[in-house]
Amino acid sequence: MTSTSTVMTTGDPGHSVAEHNPTAGLAHDSRGGISNPILGMILFICSEIMFFSGLFAAYFSVRASAVQWPPIVKGGTDQASIDAAAALTEHFNLHAEPWFGAILTVILVISSVTCQLGIWAIRRDDRTGFIRAFGVTLVLGIVFLIGQAYDYSTLGFGISDTPFGTTFYTLTGFHGAHVFGGAIMLSVVLYRGLAGQFSSKHHDAVEATSLYWHFVDVVWIALFSTLYIL
Amino acid sequence: MSSTPGSRPSTTAIVGWLVAAAVLLGVAVLVALNASSVWNSFFPPQAKSVEGQEIRNLYDIVFAIAVVIFVLVEGLIIWTVVRYRRKPGDDELPPQTHGNNIAEITWVLLPTLIVLYLFVISWQTLNSVEAVDANPNLKVRAVAGQFQWSFEYLPADAKADTTAAFTITNPGGPEGGLFLPAGETTHIYLHSPDVIHAFYVPQFLFKRDVVPTGDFRERENQFDVEIPATDAGQTYRGQCAELCGVGHRIMTFEVHILAPADFTAWYDQQVAAKNATPAPAPSGTAAGPSVPLTAEGVKFDQSTLTGPATGFTIHFDNKDNGIPHDVDILDGTGKKVVDDKDFPGPGAKDYVIPPLPAGTYKYECSIHPGQMFGTLTVQ
Amino acid sequence: MATTTLTPAASAYRSGLYEWLTTTDHKKIGILYIVNSFLFFFLAGLMALGIRTELAQPGLQLFQGNELLYNQLFTMHGSVMIFLFIIPMLAGFGNYVVPLQIGAPDMAFPRINALSFWMLPLGGILLLLGFVTGGAAQAGWTSYSPLAQDRPLSSTGPGQDLWIMGLVLIGTASILGSVNFLATIFKMRAPGMTMFRMPILTWTVLVTSVLVLMATPVFTSALIMLFIDRNYGGHFFDPSTGGNAILWQNVFWFYSHPAVYVMVLPAMGMISEILPVFSRKPLFGYKAFVFATAGIGALGFSVWAHHMFTTGSVYLPFFSLMTFFIAVPTGVKMFNWIFTLFRGQLTFSTPLLFALGFLSMFLIGGINGAFSAAVPVDFALHDTYWVVSHLHYVLFGGSVFGVMAGLYYWFPKMTGRMLGEGLGKVQFVLMFIGFNLTFFPMHQLGLSGMPRRIADYASDAGWNDLNLAATIGGFTIAASTIPLLWNVFISLRAGKIAGDDPWEANTLEWATTSPPPPYNFDRLPEIRSERPLFDLRHGRSANH
Ligand code: HEA
Ligand code: HEA
Ligand code: CUA
Ligand SMILES: [Cu+2]
Repeated sequence: MTSTSTVMTTGDPGHSVAEHNPTAGLAHDSRGGISNPILGMILFICSEIMFFSGLFAAYFSVRASAVQWPPIVKGGTDQASIDAAAALTEHFNLHAEPWFGAILTVILVISSVTCQLGIWAIRRDDRTGFIRAFGVTLVLGIVFLIGQAYDYSTLGFGISDTPFGTTFYTLTGFHGAHVFGGAIMLSVVLYRGLAGQFSSKHHDAVEATSLYWHFVDVVWIALFSTLYIL
Repeated sequence: MSSTPGSRPSTTAIVGWLVAAAVLLGVAVLVALNASSVWNSFFPPQAKSVEGQEIRNLYDIVFAIAVVIFVLVEGLIIWTVVRYRRKPGDDELPPQTHGNNIAEITWVLLPTLIVLYLFVISWQTLNSVEAVDANPNLKVRAVAGQFQWSFEYLPADAKADTTAAFTITNPGGPEGGLFLPAGETTHIYLHSPDVIHAFYVPQFLFKRDVVPTGDFRERENQFDVEIPATDAGQTYRGQCAELCGVGHRIMTFEVHILAPADFTAWYDQQVAAKNATPAPAPSGTAAGPSVPLTAEGVKFDQSTLTGPATGFTIHFDNKDNGIPHDVDILDGTGKKVVDDKDFPGPGAKDYVIPPLPAGTYKYECSIHPGQMFGTLTVQ
Repeated sequence: MATTTLTPAASAYRSGLYEWLTTTDHKKIGILYIVNSFLFFFLAGLMALGIRTELAQPGLQLFQGNELLYNQLFTMHGSVMIFLFIIPMLAGFGNYVVPLQIGAPDMAFPRINALSFWMLPLGGILLLLGFVTGGAAQAGWTSYSPLAQDRPLSSTGPGQDLWIMGLVLIGTASILGSVNFLATIFKMRAPGMTMFRMPILTWTVLVTSVLVLMATPVFTSALIMLFIDRNYGGHFFDPSTGGNAILWQNVFWFYSHPAVYVMVLPAMGMISEILPVFSRKPLFGYKAFVFATAGIGALGFSVWAHHMFTTGSVYLPFFSLMTFFIAVPTGVKMFNWIFTLFRGQLTFSTPLLFALGFLSMFLIGGINGAFSAAVPVDFALHDTYWVVSHLHYVLFGGSVFGVMAGLYYWFPKMTGRMLGEGLGKVQFVLMFIGFNLTFFPMHQLGLSGMPRRIADYASDAGWNDLNLAATIGGFTIAASTIPLLWNVFISLRAGKIAGDDPWEANTLEWATTSPPPPYNFDRLPEIRSERPLFDLRHGRSANH
């Protein structure tokens, strides 16, 4: 590898790196380069990407092995159950009205932007700007979650209604759980920010949180495209 | 280096002798046993299908190459170890070689060539083993359910979902099993109503998983097997090779090879026997009293049933989600007198039982005859 | 600057149970990993003895009237051996040795390190809880669906759910562990420790961590889907309700094939440390070795369907070719090891004996695995005892022999005392003979058609003698653990004092005291090559 070893560090490398600018390129040892928490977050996100890849692979494979997608539900013999089945089939047709999903997408994308504005702010040492931006991000995240809960309540099918329901709720549900996790991280960062713990020199936790938030956003875009459009 | 523990030659020597003694003992045991049978035990059984013979030829090549590689590399290890042990007076460091590009390239290239060769020959064999005859003489669907095999014989022009000309539900014995004509090719479909099983006949050197495919009969696994003309009269053991639950072990079956003429006679006889069974009364019209029977957890809730000789209805409630059951009725000789159609649960159906002579009969689920059966008394 | 002084990062050792329960010191955590893994090894070994006792002769003996228990035993034997013994064991050695080898004071995230460890016994308890709640998981360690579904004659009851939950926990522990290893290796190396001066064990742990990071989450997702199928009426894997049975196998093996390299690469790394030391030569072809390790890691992601050759749902030639190719980088390693020994001066201490056991036995396991790469041959061998033989030759003949070599090699560093050589050799001989007696006959059993996962077999099938031999072998292996335990017991009390560097080794961990202080190093030697201690001993110019 390319790393050179001209600079020597004395003291615990784990401490010394915290002083460095986290935006510098990836380096291979303790001298310079991104900090441990940020590297850790990047690696963790890699594993999360693989986790969602597994779910997506399942979605496409189940979809490929179905006769019809979204599936058509067959009812029983009496009129009531035929009607119920037809209604269920109708509910599956998310393509028909992707607008609600689209709104959720816009909300998340904006929250990614505000998150990034917050990062730029704290890098400039603009603490109020950072707190304001992250506050907005957190609110948008919560709005997204509420929106998703509302969406669920209107969908008219459940997790056990055909592979469609199963994959839909599993994918969006796990994404929602990740948004929730991200929102908690945002709250913690915001709390620490209000306590004045971050500066342009010291804000690894902020950077790590924003990376995670961007990741969650990207996953949603993939989900929205697959479930509501494709 | 004198402080290194274990450089005492005595223990080393003891270990060396022990290992050598074990190896010698092993060899002696082998020689004492029949040497040729030991040699044969490193090969699969004599192949009894044309495809199996090709697989065996491939195995022989792979085995030969493997033995050569093994002997060379293992020999190199042993020779190096014996030759370069540290001797008294070895105080100078040995030459500190860090590597050698030519050697390195050699042992990348050589194995690459070997595995490419192996890949090519196994691909060729694969193609001919997997090849399917466009017009097989016979089509059979092997049905593997927890925990029993049955075999449906299809008309030769059958599509995948055609109903069988007749079904053999006994997986073994003189009456049961998979009957195949010698000298001909049979096309075999594999159907599972429940979990994954595998069709395996060691003498064919072949197995193929029986994967449940839900509503998609056309996605069932299938393959051809061609029996050499010389093997008429043989019987082989087959078995399920994919863990399928507590009864996995008992899912065995027999393969009987018949001479073509015998096979035709057997086939016609089976068709005749099937046609001789009384046709079920027209469905929809419930005749006589209704007798309830429930299947749950792959068990009937009743081990005895009673019905009038004038005919009756079995109200059959299958509570097993996704598992098909039926209720067939056999007379004292084991011949099927009522052959009802199976259906997956949950669901209920009225099976109309035609008038039967009074007496005792056996009823069973044709898919789980081992677990689901009982006695029917007709009065 | 000749050496760098590192300041202590933690306060002085406290002692007692509390310290062990709350420690974040990578060395203590490493030892915890190792001890914990050995406990599970004995447990899973006992289950294996149950299996072997049943199979010693035809007819049902132990499991008469309770055959389901047999299925539970091999399921749990496989699961525990793999997820709670061999993977954590290697992670434990990595934990102990890697920070020392790269001159770091600890892992990058010490508290996450402790968390990863403590999730293991918890996960293990979940897994085993099945035995007392109406039956453990019984669908094989591979848990193929629909057999693993909650349906009659399949996997009803909580055992399978506990299995899922336990493995999600253990998997998460592995993922966190791999993040930790990667951050440590990338960021915490001592000055002068460039990537290509890293000891091979560190390299193998690096590649292993990448495999864990990329493969384990996919397994987690599969486990969660199975859980949803079982408990919330999902339709992922059950074809009777519109799912896809082969999907489970694809995601399972997408993880589990890379995982088999997780189970062997660090063991390969360990013997790559040991062979040079006991032949007094550098590792032959260091860079080739690194590339071969990376190559195995990369190829490992493209061969998973070789476990599914008989499913009729995979493109056979591609996976056959890739599987064959795996033999090439592995062969590179094999030849590099042999040429490390070549023209060396071998001292037959116990670590070397076990390392040689690894070489000679892994060779057999690798070659009999390559048989299955020839797809039509695998049609004959799949799901027979041939595969059982293969997996034990690589996992026991490879990984376990590697672990034993590593134990004898690093025990002095961990405890300050040497393990006894005499008992070590007795253990080696017993284990080596017992191992071959157990698993070699399984080749012949498999060829003659004996399927895996059966509690009983026909007495006229010709399998009686071979099975009896395997059972005797199994008990011989068990017997070989007695000298090991005795050895550890007496050596901890009265073993020979080791000193810093009893083996005249090459890597940094031998530059500090045995056992090392909490912060690892008072001073580090200069690092100019992959053998800093050799340089120190012989002067930098010696043969370089
Ligand atoms: C440590 C674990 C480990 C390792 C390292 C390996 C290594 C390999 N495995 Fe194995 N395998 C398992 C663990 C492992 N396996 C397990 C647990 C199962 C069973 C799972 C289950 O179903 O329960 C299994 C099953 C399994 C199967 C499926 C069998 C079946 O179910 O039908 C196959 C098929 O191809 C396979 C192939 C290989 C190959 C080609 C290698 C190669 O990596 C080996 C390469 C090494 C060599 C070949 C030797 C050295 C090389 C040379 C000296 C060069 C010259 C050699 C040649 C030119 C051939 N393995
Ligand atoms: C690292 C992995 C590993 C290891 C080390 C082993 C070790 C052993 N295995 Fe295992 N085995 C697997 C992984 C492993 N196995 C896997 C993955 C499967 C497939 C499972 C499946 O099909 O789903 C399998 C399956 C398997 C089978 C096939 C079962 C079947 O298909 O029906 C058999 C049969 O003989 C077997 C035997 C043994 C034996 C005898 C040992 C011996 O080496 C064990 C040695 C014995 C001991 C270590 C016990 C020692 C302890 C004592 C005697 C008591 C002392 C106690 C205290 C001090 C508390 N194993
Ligand atoms: Cu059916 Cu195993
Ligand atoms: Cu594999």
